[in-house]
Amino acid sequence: MSISTLSRRNFLKTAGVATGGLVLSVALPGNALAEKGIMKDANTTLNAFIHLDDNGDTTIYCGRCEMGQGISTALPSAVADEMEADWQRVTVKQADGDEKFGPQATGGSASIRVMFQPMREAGATAKAMLIAAAAKVWKTSAENCYAEKHFVFNKINQQKLGYGELASIAANMPIPEKPILKKKKDFNYIGTDLPRHDQGEVVVGKRVYGVDTKVPGLKYAAIIHCPVLGGSLKSVDKADALNMKGVSNVVVIPRFDIPFGSIGGVAVVADNSWTAQQAVKKLKIEWNLGDNASYDTQAYKKQLVANVEKPATLAAERGNIESAFNAAKHKVSATYTGGHLSHAPMEPNASVVWVQKNSCEVWASTQSPADIQKVLGQYLKREPKDIVVHVAMAGGAFGRKFKCDYVHEAAVISQETGAPIQLIWSREEDMRTGYYHSINAQHIEASMDENGKVTGWLHRAAFPSIGTLFNPSLVRSSAQTLGDITNHLFGIENFRAESGDAKAHTRIGWYRAVYAIFYGFAFSTFADELAHKAKKDSLTFVTQLFDNNKNKDQQEQVQRAKKLLATVAKKSAWHQRAKLPKGQGIGLAVHYSFQSFVAMAVHVEVNGDDIKVLHVDCAIDCGQILNTDGATAQMEGAVVMGMSLALSTEITFREGAVVNSNFHNYPVMRISDMPNVRVHITDSDESPTGLGEPGVAPFAPALSNAVFAASGKRYRDLPFKPMAV
Amino acid sequence: MKQSMMINGKEHKIDVDGDMPLLWFLRDRLEFTGTKFGCGSGLCGACTVHVNGQAVRSCVTSVSNLVDKEITTIEGLSEHGDHPLQKAWLNNNVPQCGYCQAGQIMNAASLLAVNASPSEDEIDTAMQGNICRCGTYQRIKKAIVEAADTLSKEV
Ligand code: FES
Ligand code: FES
Repeated sequence: MSISTLSRRNFLKTAGVATGGLVLSVALPGNALAEKGIMKDANTTLNAFIHLDDNGDTTIYCGRCEMGQGISTALPSAVADEMEADWQRVTVKQADGDEKFGPQATGGSASIRVMFQPMREAGATAKAMLIAAAAKVWKTSAENCYAEKHFVFNKINQQKLGYGELASIAANMPIPEKPILKKKKDFNYIGTDLPRHDQGEVVVGKRVYGVDTKVPGLKYAAIIHCPVLGGSLKSVDKADALNMKGVSNVVVIPRFDIPFGSIGGVAVVADNSWTAQQAVKKLKIEWNLGDNASYDTQAYKKQLVANVEKPATLAAERGNIESAFNAAKHKVSATYTGGHLSHAPMEPNASVVWVQKNSCEVWASTQSPADIQKVLGQYLKREPKDIVVHVAMAGGAFGRKFKCDYVHEAAVISQETGAPIQLIWSREEDMRTGYYHSINAQHIEASMDENGKVTGWLHRAAFPSIGTLFNPSLVRSSAQTLGDITNHLFGIENFRAESGDAKAHTRIGWYRAVYAIFYGFAFSTFADELAHKAKKDSLTFVTQLFDNNKNKDQQEQVQRAKKLLATVAKKSAWHQRAKLPKGQGIGLAVHYSFQSFVAMAVHVEVNGDDIKVLHVDCAIDCGQILNTDGATAQMEGAVVMGMSLALSTEITFREGAVVNSNFHNYPVMRISDMPNVRVHITDSDESPTGLGEPGVAPFAPALSNAVFAASGKRYRDLPFKPMAV
Repeated sequence: MKQSMMINGKEHKIDVDGDMPLLWFLRDRLEFTGTKFGCGSGLCGACTVHVNGQAVRSCVTSVSNLVDKEITTIEGLSEHGDHPLQKAWLNNNVPQCGYCQAGQIMNAASLLAVNASPSEDEIDTAMQGNICRCGTYQRIKKAIVEAADTLSKEV
């Protein structure tokens, strides 16, 4: 399918029609996106594809990557809705990596924010052309026709024509300048609980993930990586591995020192994955461990704490914090920490790559096909567009599969052996060779007057930032990285943010909710501590903190945050908490991140060291809602991930290397830990924002506050109950 | 003569190293990829299949132990994808990424085979070995209860 170049003013063109159907390439001028701050390059066009066969079968391509967040249902359902397509006739296909699909890098909870409008316009355009086609057949005007459920109807004589019958005529209709979008009250699918399009395949084991790719002549590889970032191979004795039946090659993969390139390792190729995995264990390897060989997270965290408990580098300032502190009635301070986290999706890193003389084809679970094209292009010295990337369903990703080191490695092995290679990382390698959530420390000092009003807030944070991936010499996080501290919605007149030193000794990456995990934890936990000091009800106290915000630009956000907090307080019976049995408590938190708002009320029972989460009330406001069931599922998942990181998961480094290896010493939440989660959705007419990440942030602080309410014990370090590894 | 096992009602010769775990025999040799690899150490449940009706972690079960045994994988749990659990999974829109779900369903099926109406605690105990990193546990519980209900009405 080839697409003609689109002029900037052109909203839509029809493209090559192979089978007499309609293929729509819908383009928006890049500057529409630039205006929204989504794309920098105003010349990039954005395309979505609808393929309508002349039997009525409709294929809608999803350009964003699916990893369980439901985007491949949500966005295509918006297309179908505007198109008046019958969802039963729609097949959703995952688009290959191609810039014609617009930005495909799937992260930052951005898919709906960026793509909702263009996808709706794609659908509306198709509908307009189908109506025009019918009007032509009936020799009437478009005004006399309307579309419904895969048919166009004639208002005058009640005749109808199916979309399939109209497809090839529609393909030659003019493209509407500005397609008319439906009114909210007329939606068929948007805002409903439309089930995921792929569940039927999942429950019979037919959904194909990246790890499931099979191609003729496939060879299987396993890998062991250099345990320390920046280290290199000193020697490898391959003999025992090569002697194993079924093993064909041992391939050394040098470190490819670009952000998403391999950290360096040794791979074994065999005729099945199991043999390859066994053979890797037989390699006798010595590494030069390099500069990071002394990295020890316990010592490092202490250093971070020291760095935030003394003056650090100024990032932002408002008012005069010194005079506020001098005039204080109460002064409160606290330090919060958190450890590295591994994403640990259930599907470990996996891909198939086949490098041939004149082609390179990739099948991968990925969040960013364009980065695969870039990295492989750079490695193979080919044009990115010559790297064909088939985007596979990811068995979870959470930010890890944004980086394509594992795909790059498969490409190296394939180039070396000439065979198509499936490289699957073992769980151990997945856990030990990550792009980890930043280890972090924050120190907050605040002053209050005699009425318990917060007058000053000093916030120091130290953590190796994701920026260190791109610039390893960074010594501390930038003022911009601390922006979500500076712009927090609490109204604080005298404020200062400082950035403490924190060099990176491992690869830092985006982990579901990213910095909001620890920002949210510090802000909402500290607010609860202040309320306690001021002898005020935490809900009233936090509401007041929002009310103190006089920044005009933040008023709308403040109101939305406050409203959600009130919602969860009500739903959790916060006001009757005095009646709870001994040992039980409720904690509240609300956090704004990725342009969405999420509040949680966590109800716990504490018995000695034992923390049992009984109920979670979760309120969300992400503007207009696309799929209520999908939104609910994202919140249920966020609670589980939030609980894992609040209670038990932490990646520990000793002598430069990760100590954790598998789920026995990286204890993620299991079914018996599952609380009863109730999700309360605020639907509004605001433009929709995403939900993949924002739900994670409020859980840990709400839990800390709940445990404090229940037992008087305050947890300030994530995870609360680290496992000794 | 080669040894064999029955997989989803069909006989398959064991033509691989006897130490190979069933998981890899299924995935790489027979290309039945519905059964998933999650940890390789019996810690996550993603690879759960039935051996003579009982839930087993296929990543730690060598094929040499399965001679003449009856294996059921997710592909063979029901002929038309209509096992009460599969229906309940759809009804509750359980899967997120779905990667763990074959293991969850197979494990739950083996639970219901011995305990037709499990209590919530019994569900927790039986399903504790199956990790869902996406966090679908609440729906898994609901779906199991619903399937148990359906089954009890069938009898
Ligand atoms: S892969 Fe078998 S239990 Fe995890
Ligand atoms: S649905 Fe993704 S791991 Fe369970």
